[in-house]
Amino acid sequence: MKKIKVLERILATIPLMLGVAILVFVFMRMLPGDPVDIMMGDSLATEAEMSMIRESMGLDEPFGSQLLSFLGGILKGDLGNSYMFNAPVKDVILRALPATIELALAAIVIALLLGVPIGILSAVKRNSWLDRITMGWAFLGISMPAFWLGLVLIILFGVNWGLLPTQGRLDHFVELKTITGIYTLDSILTGNLEAFKSSVRHLLLPGFTLGANLMAIVARVVRSSMIEVLEQDYVTLARAKGLVEWAVVTKHALRNALIPVITVVGLQVGVLLGGNMIVEQVFSWPGLGRLVVDAIYGRDYPLVQGAVMLYALTFVVANLIVDILYTNLNPKIEL
Amino acid sequence: MRFRYPVLLTTLVVILMVGLLVGGCGNSTEQTGADGKTLSIVIDSIPDRKAEADAIAGYLREIGVDAEVRVWEWNTLRESILAGERQVYTSDWGSATFDPYDLAVPKLKTDDRGNFSFYSNSEVDALLMQGSTGFTEEARYEAYVQAQQLIHEDAPWIFGYYKDSIEAASIKVQNWEPSMDTRINLHNVALTEGDTIVVGLRSDKILTLDPANYRDRETETVIRNIYDGLVTRTPDGEVVPELAKSWTNPEPTVYEFVLRDDVYFHNGQKMTADDVVFTFERIMAPDGIDGMPSPRLGLLGPLESVEKIDDYQVRFTLSESFPVFLQLLVHTQIVPKDYVEEVGAKGLAENPVGTGPYKYVSGRLDDQIVLERFDGYYGGSPDLKKSGKEPVKKVIFKNMPEPSTRVSALLAGEVHIIQMVPEDLAPRLEADPRVNVMTAEGTRVYGLEFNTAKEPFDDVRVRQAINYAVNWDEILTELYQGRAHRLSTAFLPSGFGYDPDLEPYSYNPEKAKELLREAGYRVND
Repeated sequence: MKKIKVLERILATIPLMLGVAILVFVFMRMLPGDPVDIMMGDSLATEAEMSMIRESMGLDEPFGSQLLSFLGGILKGDLGNSYMFNAPVKDVILRALPATIELALAAIVIALLLGVPIGILSAVKRNSWLDRITMGWAFLGISMPAFWLGLVLIILFGVNWGLLPTQGRLDHFVELKTITGIYTLDSILTGNLEAFKSSVRHLLLPGFTLGANLMAIVARVVRSSMIEVLEQDYVTLARAKGLVEWAVVTKHALRNALIPVITVVGLQVGVLLGGNMIVEQVFSWPGLGRLVVDAIYGRDYPLVQGAVMLYALTFVVANLIVDILYTNLNPKIEL
Repeated sequence: MRFRYPVLLTTLVVILMVGLLVGGCGNSTEQTGADGKTLSIVIDSIPDRKAEADAIAGYLREIGVDAEVRVWEWNTLRESILAGERQVYTSDWGSATFDPYDLAVPKLKTDDRGNFSFYSNSEVDALLMQGSTGFTEEARYEAYVQAQQLIHEDAPWIFGYYKDSIEAASIKVQNWEPSMDTRINLHNVALTEGDTIVVGLRSDKILTLDPANYRDRETETVIRNIYDGLVTRTPDGEVVPELAKSWTNPEPTVYEFVLRDDVYFHNGQKMTADDVVFTFERIMAPDGIDGMPSPRLGLLGPLESVEKIDDYQVRFTLSESFPVFLQLLVHTQIVPKDYVEEVGAKGLAENPVGTGPYKYVSGRLDDQIVLERFDGYYGGSPDLKKSGKEPVKKVIFKNMPEPSTRVSALLAGEVHIIQMVPEDLAPRLEADPRVNVMTAEGTRVYGLEFNTAKEPFDDVRVRQAINYAVNWDEILTELYQGRAHRLSTAFLPSGFGYDPDLEPYSYNPEKAKELLREAGYRVND
């Protein structure tokens, strides 16, 4: 039964993706601005030269046939050529994607490592000064713009204290053979300890900046669901059996309190992958977000189309995975 | 209590409708009064220059012009400008040839590509043509000077300014100075410590490593460390030999180059006239880049043919006299014929092979490009200042689009040279003993263009009045920390034919009011 439901959901993404593709296609072309004109900037160019380039990109064809050949391409797994790079969109996206995934994962790990303990602590010490301080911080974390936080962290940790690198993914003197493009993973796979340390150090500031918001959300969700769980009968029973408080909290309460956290994190995965343009910009992180913003400014239609479809797919898949996990954790809920 | 809500709602609807009626009357209303109408205008600006546009609107309001500022993304604004839907707008245009040929000509010649002000003066057109294609330097200079005077008088823009381009380097970097054409030539640069130099580029990405397939300056910065051209420029814009030993210009339309005979490509092959001919023919062919046209055709000017005279001599024939040819030639880098024929444009872009001081190691266009010293290098142009030391072993060009990150990374010692320091961050760097801040004269003109084809700016008095009404000195000091310099027209002091005696419009609100009154507008007393 469940397998069929999952299959249904997967199949449902196909028309959804098609809709997204058409929407992005239409919206991008509604944006004022001509890709060739933008590409030539203010350099010397004749009208004849530009129409030759326009033709070679297929931009001289009528709107309808452009859309059809785009949709036809998608069915064949071909997203077209990026105007800016004059290379297949698939290649351009794939070479930027690992950096973005790595950053998003780092953000999630940092958010969980900090957010969950903070949430537990404030729940256990509810209404104490500790609770107020941590929740105050969490509130700050939600409201702080990433751009500002990133710059402050760079100035403090990078420039003033010299503790962490301010930009990039790896120190320039470190060599690393890339396999997946996710540097931490690659350095483990190749047993390169130096590269591992370097890439982790480079992940800390951008990861924290990107994860600050999620961390605050996680802390607040953990706190409220923990408070609810701690008042359940089975927790009282555990206490009555004479278990020490930390064991009650970590072994009995936490497992149930974490269910809503999975939903929150799952929903945020899409946001983290698609919404990190600013963090990538601030930390010179060569990921997809930065590329997409640039592609929008440059009216690189195929690249924007490809990237937005990928973002949409990420949201859909993340939601599906969350739902499946959810039913596993709580069998009372159906897909 | 119940009746209150309908009353409130009705009131709201009435207010809204009145608001819509009043606000929806378009962006340029002229209210006619007893002593003429009020001039009411909208200044359209890009986000980066909003403060400047606000200041200008402020000056205009002082004399009684009703001015409002709106902000747009540039390419969106540009399209509505070209459709003739805007009144006055911020714009800028860069010059790469140190000649009005790629600045005043496209900006002010009737119907030319960059003419966003729809300015049209046949006399100016003729002078600009004479200036860019004339036979003698004197005739060209004279024509440009006359053109400037006419343009100044006609005031198709609120004439603006050019900025210093501010760059910075660690004090460990020796013999580096910013170039006016933003080239960073690392061959002549040395480090006092370490053997790797890291450059923080202002860009998001490098477009390609094929020198025939891009059209932006940052890509060129990287490419010109891998490839050399026949000629190059000194930091202040003079054309000097690079791969060419010398040249002659026997006829106005013919250039003959003698090539160096000690130049090798990174793959060990010797560079000859065949490679030079191939490089240019590849750009001229409509399908030269793996079946696609090269976007650099416009940079060859009226080049008609390139022929090999012998292994180390090449003849260029133009279809018409073209004095800017040598300046343009700087922007074409020589590629190896045999290699490109073998691997194609895609192969060249992935594994570039040039004659430049550094050869390609690895990289990703939207991340960083790593190069290492080419030990077979012939030594570069004899006319460029040398450091006298061995060039660094390894070079990394990093895309760092965020200015404050570039500044932080330089201060943290992670990069050695950074491009484009924003004016407001420069003092901080200047105060730091670990860093040298240097400037080169910018080659980009900033101004605000009028739509001269439509009311109210089809009236030259109104355009002149606005020029008199703006206190540029105050704007440039306050907003650009004095690192921007007034221009009297759209000609740059660094470009050929600049008239240093032509004064910019002075700040003269009284004169502005007088002109507006003459044009039939009401002004403040």
